[in-house]
Amino acid sequence: MKRLVATPWGVYSVWHRHAKVYQRTWLVNFLPPVTEPIMYLIAFGFGLSPLVGDVIYAGQPVSYLRFIAPAMIAIGVLFQSFFEGGYASFIRLNFQKTWQALLTAPLSFTEVFLGDWFWAATKGMIAGTLTGLVAVIWGLYSPLNLLLSLPLMLLGSLLFGAMGLLTAGSVRQIDQINIPIFLLIIPMFTLCGTYFPRETLPPFLQTIATVLPLSSLIDLLRWNLGLPSYWWLQFLWLVTLMLIFVSLAIRKIYPQLIK
Amino acid sequence: MLGSTMNTTALVAYSLTKEYNATPVVQEVSFNLNFSEVLGLLGPNGAGKTTIVGMLYGGVAPDRGFVKLGDIQVQSDGRTARAKMGIVTQEDNLDPDFSVFENLLHFAHHYHLTGKTARKRVGELLEQVNLEAHGQKRIDELSGGMKRRLVLARALINRPHVVFLDEPTTGLDPDARQEFWKLVIDLKQRGCGVLLTTHYMDEAQRLCDRLLLLQQGQVIDQGTPLELIDRTIGKEVVEIEGVDEARLQALATQFNSWCRPFGSGYLLALPPAPTPLWDDLVATEPQRLTRRHANLEDVFLRLTGKVLE
Repeated sequence: MKRLVATPWGVYSVWHRHAKVYQRTWLVNFLPPVTEPIMYLIAFGFGLSPLVGDVIYAGQPVSYLRFIAPAMIAIGVLFQSFFEGGYASFIRLNFQKTWQALLTAPLSFTEVFLGDWFWAATKGMIAGTLTGLVAVIWGLYSPLNLLLSLPLMLLGSLLFGAMGLLTAGSVRQIDQINIPIFLLIIPMFTLCGTYFPRETLPPFLQTIATVLPLSSLIDLLRWNLGLPSYWWLQFLWLVTLMLIFVSLAIRKIYPQLIK
Repeated sequence: MLGSTMNTTALVAYSLTKEYNATPVVQEVSFNLNFSEVLGLLGPNGAGKTTIVGMLYGGVAPDRGFVKLGDIQVQSDGRTARAKMGIVTQEDNLDPDFSVFENLLHFAHHYHLTGKTARKRVGELLEQVNLEAHGQKRIDELSGGMKRRLVLARALINRPHVVFLDEPTTGLDPDARQEFWKLVIDLKQRGCGVLLTTHYMDEAQRLCDRLLLLQQGQVIDQGTPLELIDRTIGKEVVEIEGVDEARLQALATQFNSWCRPFGSGYLLALPPAPTPLWDDLVATEPQRLTRRHANLEDVFLRLTGKVLE
């Protein structure tokens, strides 16, 4: 592989292209996925709160809504960045041939890749922030909490965006995107301490759930409720996974474009 | 214009070689592309034309050889090279979410063209490719020919000195092809070096100043269309049907000509007139006998034994 060349303008220009498409079609693209975590928050919050009451988290009783609010932010981040990196990038790569078109302009592979990746992360940030704002308005998360959580959300968005891009680069048919969704995304969505503390799971499942990256992101986003003693390991785990996934994604996509 | 003020060579491809899974796809292909010239790569499907174009702009990494655009080596600095190239790939990879105007506007962004400057340039380009009345249309409202012209306009944003057109008129109706050809001639007159791949003999003959004939990744001959025809075939050929091959081969050998199967009959080259071969062929009482000017298709048939698909 040739040396990686990227200029800020090139990366921005690719990102700008995706943002313009989004702007054009935002009503179609924007409402359903962004409202999804907000709907979970409302539905599970109202529906389960009376049944559950308080949850014990980090040794403290916490209201159920305050418990799930940070997890819903993480789910917004997960879904939006993964689907943009996986599904939308797959379409840009294999159907619309957007990547191929961009590579006839004075843009390097690295610029096109980073532009796509950062756009996937941007979508995660949009969903996470909007869900966070709902939580803030609801009084479940303080504005300062949300502000200080932005870097964590960015890390999560980059990680799940890279997972999406690895998926886009690995699958041959669009239906195959369901494989990581069912093997990884849905288990994370349900098991990673989103709707209940992981301690209630059997030890074996608990270990698996803890290793899955959404657990680390959710635990870190719950920093206002208390952090696990190994939080720095969780942070490093997210960074490491992000680097692994992004380098694997590059390895998968590069040979499809530069033959 | 450009050619008179600068060196006449716009681009040099040297010894380009590419294998896929140990199968050679392009072998030792070298050529120069000059300003104000249309250079054609003519060959059947699978001859390596698209792979060669890929190597010219950096979409394909050659196993051996290199491409230089002026002082810029494409293989090590494709990004800079592409700022001076216009690339029309075979597939229409336009943005279906954007209008015609927006397709160009947002692509211009990659060339650091923004705001008023970009809008002005997009207007010029739409005029250049005769799409000025269609700026607000969606991509799926365009005909095949209009899409191709839009891809060309997109390739011309930065006023490139060289333009690559990979099978630009495949799938277009005759009118749309004619219209596209006019644009190619216009580019040449503006001083551009144009490299065009095609498997259409008429396109190669009408548009190209020089041709490289490709077969299985190798250049089997090159020259102007007329040179190639003259050198390989001569002036005239005969298409004949309903006569035994052995008899035709014997006649061909006798008159120092050649004979190849062609469609449901055979093709023979006619030596320069006056030739008794014609009379002898008439005397065989064939079902069909046509005498016509030789063309590039005949060149290909002679050189490869195959008809262009």
